[in-house]
Amino acid sequence: MLRPTTIEDLQAAVREGGRLLPRGGGTKPALSTPTEGVTPLDLSGLSGVLEYNPGEFTFTALAGTRVAEVQALLDSHGQYLPFDPPLADRGATLGGTVAAGVSGPGRYRYGGVRDFILGVRMVDGNGDVVYGGGKVVVQLHCAALQETMQALYRVYTARLDVDALDLAPETDGSATLWVRLGGLPDALPARAERIRAMLGGGDNVTGEREAWLWREARDFAWAQPDWILVKVPVTPKRIASVETLHATSLRRYSAAGNVAWIASPESPQSLDGHLSSVGLSGLMLFGPPGHARLGIRTGQAVERRVKEVFDPQNRFSET
Amino acid sequence: MQHTIPVDRVGPAGEEMARAVEKCVHCGFCLPTCPTYVTLGQEMDSPRGRIFLMKSALEGGLTVEDALPFVDRCLGCMACVTACPSGVQYAELLTPYRARTEKSRPRSFTERLARTLARETLPYPGRLRLAATTGRLAAPFRRFLPASLSAMLSLLPDELPPATKPLPRTYPAEGQRRARVALLAGCAQQVLAPEINWATLRVLARNGVEVVIPDGQGCCGSLMMHTGDGDGARDLARKNLRAFPKDVDAIVTNAAGCGSGMKEYGLLFKRQPEEAEGRAFAARVRDVSEFLAELGIESPPVSAPIAVAYHDACHLAHAQRVTEAPRQLLRRIPGLTLLEISEGELCCGSAGTYNIEQPALAEAIGRRKAQNILRTDAAMVVTGNIGCIVQIRASLGRLNKPMPVLHTMEVLDRAYRGMEN
Amino acid sequence: MNPHPLIESLAGIYPEGRLLIHPGELASFESDGLTSYRTRPAAVVIAETQGEVIETVTLCHQHGVPFVARGSGTSLSGGSVPVKDGIVIALNRLTRIVRLDLTERIAVVEPGVINLDVSKASAASGLYYAPDPSSQQICTIGGNVAFNSGGAHCLKYGMTSNHVLALKAVLPDGEVVQLGSESVEGVGPDLVGLFVGSEGLFGIALEITLRLLPRPEQYQTVLAAYHSLEAAGNAVASVVASGLLPGAIEIMDRLAIQAAEAAVHPNYPKGAEAVLIVELEGEAEQVAEEYKRLEVVIRDSGAYEVRLAQDEADRQRIWKGRKSAFSAVGRLSPDFIVQDGVVPRSRLGETLAEIKRLSQQYNIRVANVFHAGDGNLHPLILYDGREAGAHERAEKLAGEIIRLCIRLGGSITGEHGVGLEKRGYLPEMYGEADVDLMWKLRCAMDPKQIANRGKMFPSGASDGPQAARATGLHPLEREGIISRE
Ligand SMILES: Cc1cc2nc3c(=O)[nH]c(=O)nc-3n(C[C@H](O)[C@H](O)[C@H](O)COP(=O)(O)OP(=O)(O)OC[C@H]3O[C@@H](n4cnc5c(N)ncnc54)[C@H](O)[C@@H]3O)c2cc1C
Ligand code: SF4
Ligand code: SF4
Repeated sequence: MLRPTTIEDLQAAVREGGRLLPRGGGTKPALSTPTEGVTPLDLSGLSGVLEYNPGEFTFTALAGTRVAEVQALLDSHGQYLPFDPPLADRGATLGGTVAAGVSGPGRYRYGGVRDFILGVRMVDGNGDVVYGGGKVVVQLHCAALQETMQALYRVYTARLDVDALDLAPETDGSATLWVRLGGLPDALPARAERIRAMLGGGDNVTGEREAWLWREARDFAWAQPDWILVKVPVTPKRIASVETLHATSLRRYSAAGNVAWIASPESPQSLDGHLSSVGLSGLMLFGPPGHARLGIRTGQAVERRVKEVFDPQNRFSET
Repeated sequence: MQHTIPVDRVGPAGEEMARAVEKCVHCGFCLPTCPTYVTLGQEMDSPRGRIFLMKSALEGGLTVEDALPFVDRCLGCMACVTACPSGVQYAELLTPYRARTEKSRPRSFTERLARTLARETLPYPGRLRLAATTGRLAAPFRRFLPASLSAMLSLLPDELPPATKPLPRTYPAEGQRRARVALLAGCAQQVLAPEINWATLRVLARNGVEVVIPDGQGCCGSLMMHTGDGDGARDLARKNLRAFPKDVDAIVTNAAGCGSGMKEYGLLFKRQPEEAEGRAFAARVRDVSEFLAELGIESPPVSAPIAVAYHDACHLAHAQRVTEAPRQLLRRIPGLTLLEISEGELCCGSAGTYNIEQPALAEAIGRRKAQNILRTDAAMVVTGNIGCIVQIRASLGRLNKPMPVLHTMEVLDRAYRGMEN
Repeated sequence: MNPHPLIESLAGIYPEGRLLIHPGELASFESDGLTSYRTRPAAVVIAETQGEVIETVTLCHQHGVPFVARGSGTSLSGGSVPVKDGIVIALNRLTRIVRLDLTERIAVVEPGVINLDVSKASAASGLYYAPDPSSQQICTIGGNVAFNSGGAHCLKYGMTSNHVLALKAVLPDGEVVQLGSESVEGVGPDLVGLFVGSEGLFGIALEITLRLLPRPEQYQTVLAAYHSLEAAGNAVASVVASGLLPGAIEIMDRLAIQAAEAAVHPNYPKGAEAVLIVELEGEAEQVAEEYKRLEVVIRDSGAYEVRLAQDEADRQRIWKGRKSAFSAVGRLSPDFIVQDGVVPRSRLGETLAEIKRLSQQYNIRVANVFHAGDGNLHPLILYDGREAGAHERAEKLAGEIIRLCIRLGGSITGEHGVGLEKRGYLPEMYGEADVDLMWKLRCAMDPKQIANRGKMFPSGASDGPQAARATGLHPLEREGIISRE
């Protein structure tokens, strides 16, 4: 195990040779548990917010910084990370969140993690420090790491129990739809009423329970600890095909039907086959190492070319 | 756009041409309104491309022949002028450019023939009538004719309307006289649709306008102006300068092409002895819809409901910027619902002699217009120009979806007379 | 690199009329929205199918002849200027909307589809395509993808990159790839994000899957007039600090207002040194509440006149003035340079003051129009190219403004791209290692560097084999990773 505490150490570690697997908080074990012959590279020693500019809604932090630490800092200025970084309360780091490319429920309205990255300084597979992006809102190829309004806007959650909706015929159970609204307090009741009218009912959820509900969603507290947990990008119409495949699993559909989180007692191999058969891809967060990517893969030609540039000697292992 | 046009060596309008080029910032905002660009999807057939080509030819970087095919395909509809935020006066480049290159152009014999035929007949009602009659006789042989001649024939109506009695010298106002105007009788229109003039007279009279139709007036000259024959156009225009009285409230026309041509007399006579006179004349020219909307009209009596699609004639909408006036008049007709045609800024493909010179393109542009019209569910098309009427009728006919196409004045006239529209 | 054998091969694909080689046909393709750069290509092909594009790119790769994809040629950085002796692949006839799925809220389009036409096609279902460059009635989705184009309303919804879900593209060596999926979420590296904004250097987008959004239920457009540009700039900072996230925040200064008035008569308040346009949008109740807050902020910002759009026509008029501004400036000056830079929003006022000072120092008029909400400036530098040295001085001033942006922690481009114009500034914004990495990426995607050769990277490194040879082997060549013919 390597645990660099300076950028120079990190560069040296990479230049040293051997295959490495970076690890932040270890909250996504399927991605951060090394396989045979791979050395773990613990980045928790590279931690801390380097700069925070509340007026611009931007901050810069080292990759090993815990998301929760950043959130606490932002909160003191009434700001927050609207993409609801998953597993924050369990110790996820910024670097791990960015590398895994995972976002929570809030991504529906405000965009996912990549939409908030303005620039990245990184050590590539040659051990060189390179930089891409900038710090202003509009960027060459990046978007903003900014957001506002925690203090100003209050959230509102409605809960609705519905019969399986358009889901698969085999599913016997029912589903629950959670809708969270955020905005100026005076406008919220009327907006919520509209949604209730549209859905034909629903209860308000407030206070502690409201907060708990979304934390549970972000931190996957609902998933069985010894099951695998897989993120599967879908679209509302594809939900039905996910449903037909997994009678034994638990599914949560997030971001208005754009992500399926599947917790399953199955083996990664069998889920991999299922996903491939319906033309979907998945990323495993919980589960055994060696199976990060499941289902179909697109764009491999480009991915390979990018990998050759950033990591020509294949220092970094995928899991 | 920067240029190196030798301003004093490219004719009397060198400065205007150079100014148009200078003003063009090459932004492309005019492209979506250009009928040839939307049909062909290639830069050299766009306004921006043509400006670039004419500029290069004027600078000497291209030969006139190199640029010619694309300049020729321009309809002169001036939709690009309406769209241009930078204020490029495209006509001030195109018209003198065409005049300059007209003489040197190599044209095929049949193209020349068709063009001459058109220019020598369209402006003269008598000749046109004769040509139309004999042309119809030739119709069975159409498929043996070159495309351009065949296209010309295909626009002729199957049957010419009977020659109506000649227009009177004056037509009195009904009731109290509110205004007095002089009417340009138009040329092609007199043969192809003489009833438009009569409808115009009746509508004007009904609204208290006395109309004089001066003797000795002739073609407005715009056809020649826009095909590059400046001298020919001036000869015709001079006749009109002489013929039209100065003691009228306006010189009125119901043919959009003529209106836009006469409004350009100032430019036509630029640096000529008649410049001031031309300018004064131009200032008094009004399209009849413009004139009536300014004057205010009486509401016609209630009639059966009808949905009509109004087509903006380019020479009215783009060249004269008259779009609201005819709509305003039509809205006065109780029971009439006015529908807008999508891509309304696009030309119908008529544009003077264009049908004859670019038959295939004109047909494609016409088809697009007809399809857009059919999407409105209107029962009738209304427009302010005879050329458009003929073209739209033909285009709808080709799709086997004929529907009445009338002039704004005819629709108003029928409404006043309680006729079913 | 003789293009002629290639042209012979191209003649096997394209019928006459779609393979252009005569001077009269080629001339109009010489430049884009930035007319100070001009190059006549060896040939232009007017492609009608994706297959033709793929074949053309493959042939170019085989022959080692550079190509430039061309949408509507409205690039303001020389992005679509042809490469000498190269081929232009015109995409304006690839205008199929392949699929419009209004339930999934996506549109799959070919690259020649015009930005505004996507919104028009989906309007009946209450949806629209959010990114709205001022050139939206003519610029193509392909061009938007290449430049990651933005627009006034990208403040709230993000730029092109945030709205492209998937892409089919042909890489410069002819390999066809499919990137992304129809979901807003993905797995693995964000390859769509890599391609969007690559300025045509990574190949040609053939089919683009776009995300559509429901049209906001209500708009509230506020027009505020100020006696100074700085006051308007500071008002932006106040709006942002208030926590509001309007759909758009735009500023125009006196010269820009004057031009817009002459062009489209938007009827902005008289005598303003600057106008600020703030547009709130969304659900009616929310907009109403937000407006209450905005009203206070604007009132306290020193505006001397505040106006609300009365109806949709009025709103359209306000926007037409703003969106016509670039072209309308052609009324004020025979030549101008549209600059595009970004500064942190909190430094807007300071930046504007400095631009004003530079303008006075150079004695060159500068009009300002900008996406103030995200600090994206568009100074328009007005000059008369017929005056000796005027162009050079204007370029120098443009350069100073760009350096100012870099100095203040900003960027050399917000949305118009690096293209030809700004390639010299790339090394000022990025370190050597960073540029080198970008270059390696470029070479990995395009081993012969034929796609848009000479764009984006500072000249020397990327001007083609000759220039590169003159400066020695590229590090990647030394490492044996790339090779050139
Ligand atoms: C008046 C005016 C206002 C403008 N306003 C804005 C604005 O508000 N915001 C903004 O962002 N931009 C703006 N622009 C700039 C310009 O419109 C955009 O950059 C636009 O995206 C270019 O689109 P285009 O179709 O004209 O592309 P082109 O100019 O033809 O091409 C641009 C680049 O894209 C490449 N390209 C084209 N098609 C493809 C494809 N299919 N695949 C890969 N590469 C391709 C070309 O090679 C070139 O490098 C404005 C321009 C003008 C003239
Ligand atoms: S809109 Fe005007 S300035 Fe722009 S390209 Fe067309 S003619 Fe030129
Ligand atoms: S006059 Fe009409 S046809 Fe000619 S360039 Fe302008 S828009 Fe196109």
